[in-house]
Amino acid sequence: MMTSRARTAIAVMAAGALVALAGCGGEEATAAEGGADGGSSAGGESVELTVSLFGTFGMEEAGLFDQYEEENPGVTISYETTQGEDTYWPALLTKLNAGSGASDIQGIEVARIRTATTELADKWVDLTQTEAADQLGEYAQFKQDAATTEDGAVVGLGTDIGPTGICYRTDLLEEAGLPTDPDELAAQMGSWEDYLALGEQYKASAPEGSAWTDSAGGLYNAIISTESEIYYDEAGELVYDSNPAVKAAFDLSAQAAADDLTAKFAQFEDPEWNPGFGNGAFATIACPSWMLGYIKGQAGDEGSGKWGVTSLPGGAAGNWGGAYLGVPASSENQEEAVKLAMWLTAPEQQEKVFAAGGNFPSNTTAIDAVADTTDEYFSDAPIGQIFGDIAKNAPTQILGPDDGVLKNEITNALLTIEVNDVDPETAWTSAQRAIDNQLG
Amino acid sequence: MTTMTVRDAAAVSPLTPRPRRRRRRGGDHAGPVAYVLLVVTSFLFLAPFYYMIVAASRPMSEMNQFPPPLTPGGGLWRNILSAWDAQPLGLAIWNSLLVSSIITVATVLFCTLSGYAFAKQQFAGKKALFAVTVGTMMIPPTLGIVPLYQVMAALDLTGKLSAVVLPSLVTAFGVFFMRQYLIQTLPDELIEAARVDGATSLRTVWSIVLPIARPGMAVLAMLTFMAAWNDFFWPVIALVSSNPTVQVALKNLGSGYVPDQAIIMAGTLVGTLPVVVVFVLLGRQIVSGIMAGAVKG
Amino acid sequence: MAVDTPPRASRTDVAVGHAPRSEPPLGLRSRLFRLEAKAAPYLYISPFFLLFVAFGLFPLVWTAWISLNDFKLGTPMVFVGLENYRWLFASPEFYNSLWRTITIGILSTVPQLMLALGLAHLLNYQMVVRNFFRISMLMPYATSVAASTLVFAQLFGRDNGFFNWVLSWVGIDAVDWRNGDLTAQIAIAVIVTWRWTGYNALIYLAGMQSISQDLYEAAALDGASKWQQFRHVTLPGLRPTILFTVVVSTIGATQLFGEPLLFGNGQANGGALGQYQTLGLFMYQQGWDYFELGRAATIAWVTFVLVVGLVLLNTGIARWRTRDRKAVR
Repeated sequence: MMTSRARTAIAVMAAGALVALAGCGGEEATAAEGGADGGSSAGGESVELTVSLFGTFGMEEAGLFDQYEEENPGVTISYETTQGEDTYWPALLTKLNAGSGASDIQGIEVARIRTATTELADKWVDLTQTEAADQLGEYAQFKQDAATTEDGAVVGLGTDIGPTGICYRTDLLEEAGLPTDPDELAAQMGSWEDYLALGEQYKASAPEGSAWTDSAGGLYNAIISTESEIYYDEAGELVYDSNPAVKAAFDLSAQAAADDLTAKFAQFEDPEWNPGFGNGAFATIACPSWMLGYIKGQAGDEGSGKWGVTSLPGGAAGNWGGAYLGVPASSENQEEAVKLAMWLTAPEQQEKVFAAGGNFPSNTTAIDAVADTTDEYFSDAPIGQIFGDIAKNAPTQILGPDDGVLKNEITNALLTIEVNDVDPETAWTSAQRAIDNQLG
Repeated sequence: MTTMTVRDAAAVSPLTPRPRRRRRRGGDHAGPVAYVLLVVTSFLFLAPFYYMIVAASRPMSEMNQFPPPLTPGGGLWRNILSAWDAQPLGLAIWNSLLVSSIITVATVLFCTLSGYAFAKQQFAGKKALFAVTVGTMMIPPTLGIVPLYQVMAALDLTGKLSAVVLPSLVTAFGVFFMRQYLIQTLPDELIEAARVDGATSLRTVWSIVLPIARPGMAVLAMLTFMAAWNDFFWPVIALVSSNPTVQVALKNLGSGYVPDQAIIMAGTLVGTLPVVVVFVLLGRQIVSGIMAGAVKG
Repeated sequence: MAVDTPPRASRTDVAVGHAPRSEPPLGLRSRLFRLEAKAAPYLYISPFFLLFVAFGLFPLVWTAWISLNDFKLGTPMVFVGLENYRWLFASPEFYNSLWRTITIGILSTVPQLMLALGLAHLLNYQMVVRNFFRISMLMPYATSVAASTLVFAQLFGRDNGFFNWVLSWVGIDAVDWRNGDLTAQIAIAVIVTWRWTGYNALIYLAGMQSISQDLYEAAALDGASKWQQFRHVTLPGLRPTILFTVVVSTIGATQLFGEPLLFGNGQANGGALGQYQTLGLFMYQQGWDYFELGRAATIAWVTFVLVVGLVLLNTGIARWRTRDRKAVR
């Protein structure tokens, strides 16, 4: 999803938009007026459910809340979204801590799910003990695993996932004499090195002011999204500086930066990154499924048909971003809230959301159902199939409590290579120092 | 926490010279050089407002050309409507008016009373209490946000306007301001005379202190209102997007799914407009208020 | 502090035409009267203090307590004594942000006050449309941090910003304002300067207008040029005002937060190199990006101590000046 338009795997790294602080989710979950214990199931009693999300989950946009109210007389839903996940989460933490103020349903970004299943495990309703138990097997395996605590409790139902490919400007690639058909392009990219080599080709004939890809940080995120072990090992030990995969991803991205293959933007932060989609500042971009909607929004109607999408080099499968719905233990309408969360993440609803905004389903039934989807905007690319294949093969990532800090510092270091001409080794060392100081 | 920065205190510097006879430099008319310089600086001060209109009246794609356009386009209305669509700006403006008005009235009233007590009355613990008050003016406004949020959560006020109003009902700055003002403008003799005449303390406040304090109160009211209107750090944390103040709504505009600079600018223009209007209408009073405060208070 | 109320039967009584009185007999009424007089001040300050304690003081004191704890948002607090302070003083990021706060402070305060002084001097002339000039100088002051930063962020754009376009006329290559080290600080200083110059100019203007005309006349008789009059009459007369604005702007600079935050598009890292991460941003980053509330509280308190130091410096400087006998403190 655009989980918060992607502060993706890491909230801290790419703040959504203009401003940092932002409000918190909904008001005190008002128990149904007089609803004795809130569990006022279908007894015809009226119940008000509060839903607090961040960014654009696409549920409101797809009309799901209205539909649910219609199908379930007596249920009213008050929906509330905070645009920046980076401000949504601290507010939610505060409420969970205070034991009051959280809504009946709260969104959880994938970068936070590890915190939710460890430090906050007791703050959520364990879904295995509810009606939702039967539905839990329907989500992509890696998605489900990440929301499970050590004791086997499940704190959230998957909404969307972020299977990652590469989006590219067909018109620019054509001008540079590169293939524009997804399969042909994929055939020329057996590895990330090949991808950079294509970039060199592009650079040789590209128009002034057009780079191969938008940012070293985005490239790094795409490379690392295909790994299972990233910053932490199975045992929960911090291994970022001994894990060759991390350093390799860093070196490769640093290489791209040093060779001027990037447009030197900080994703989601740089005001000029957005217009870059339309004005050809970059020809390719690492592309989680939720990025499709973002591209459409930024490049506008005139970009339609000028974009394509293909899989990552070597057909690697990765996941970048996504979210969950959880029911806080403080909710006074747990039973009703779980019902709503189940319904919202059921195949039919996930398909609707995908159709409305491109947030890719996490429910396997829905993934299969959208397999034939193509997208005119992306030159009729079979996005359902491309992203569906990636989703099924994506590794289960080992997430850690401080992934955000790590990703933040590393992408930051890459940016210094791009825009401040810092030498890659120096940049890596500073990132290490900053990480150690922060986590030490 | 209306962030009245400590800078505002400059207006009431205890170090500014006390007024002597107003100086009339009747003979000194501005020469052409002075005029040119003033016109240029005024232009520099106003140009960003003009640019705001330019940026708000064109589609984003046009603003991202090089060189950037310098004339307004025709899309202002459309952009404002889009902003209005994306965020409940009407509600936001109403909320902001409400919040700023309540804060202003309360601040002026409570701070004038306290300021008077600190300026002209003797009571045990006065020094210590005042020191504490002034001390907190120096604290970065963000310092108390976490506990403040916890307080609001405990009172079950998060997301409600009261969460923004309550912490701003009084400001240390306001007390400091009124105390300085009254020390300089309120003669001890008058209070003493009233006391001798047998007026109760409350009566003295009503018929002597308030009339004299009125100009200072007006300045404080204007400063407070503007600060409350423009405040966003606390409101953005305390409120929810369905019930925002103007600044909160603007924040959310900027972080939509697909941020559109032009629409953000249009929203910003709408949010800034009321302040500009106030200035056009009351500019003279605001200017002289600040100057009066600077000299006397 | 406030001037003491003169003793009873003082010159005031005489001044307002009362015969000096002896102590009145203590009837019930006058006892009540006295009680009221005693209690009144507390009545006046109580609304302020009640609200202030609940929503101002309590959070601050609580923050001090938090600074002695390891407190990650979402987990219970663990008392660690001075550990956060030890961490802070060993943290390169802290010294970086301290340094950036100082440099941005200088970059924004010095030009701002010089400009304000010059402007005040110009505004002091008799002229038509005087009010227009004054109001337009003050307009930026009324603009929110968010609005002004948003506009300037566009003006300072790298690829199609207005300022780079102007620079391109004189053949200067596009400047990457936000990512550059000094350039980002200059950009932020420009925003601060734009917002506050007019306001300070008005304060200087008020100070200038209170300087006695006689001094100028005397100087003119001595054959002093306009410039000499400015140097030897205006500046000394403005000294207290200037000192005060310097200190106040310095304190403002110490707390600089909104501009760099929004200039970085809501990012608290103050640029990839931390080139504009002020103390305020550093605190915000620890607290709201990394959820290390204990550390954030610590930074806030250290900042507070710095500011108090500046204020003491202020009063120290103030002692140097010749005092008006009635001047407070």
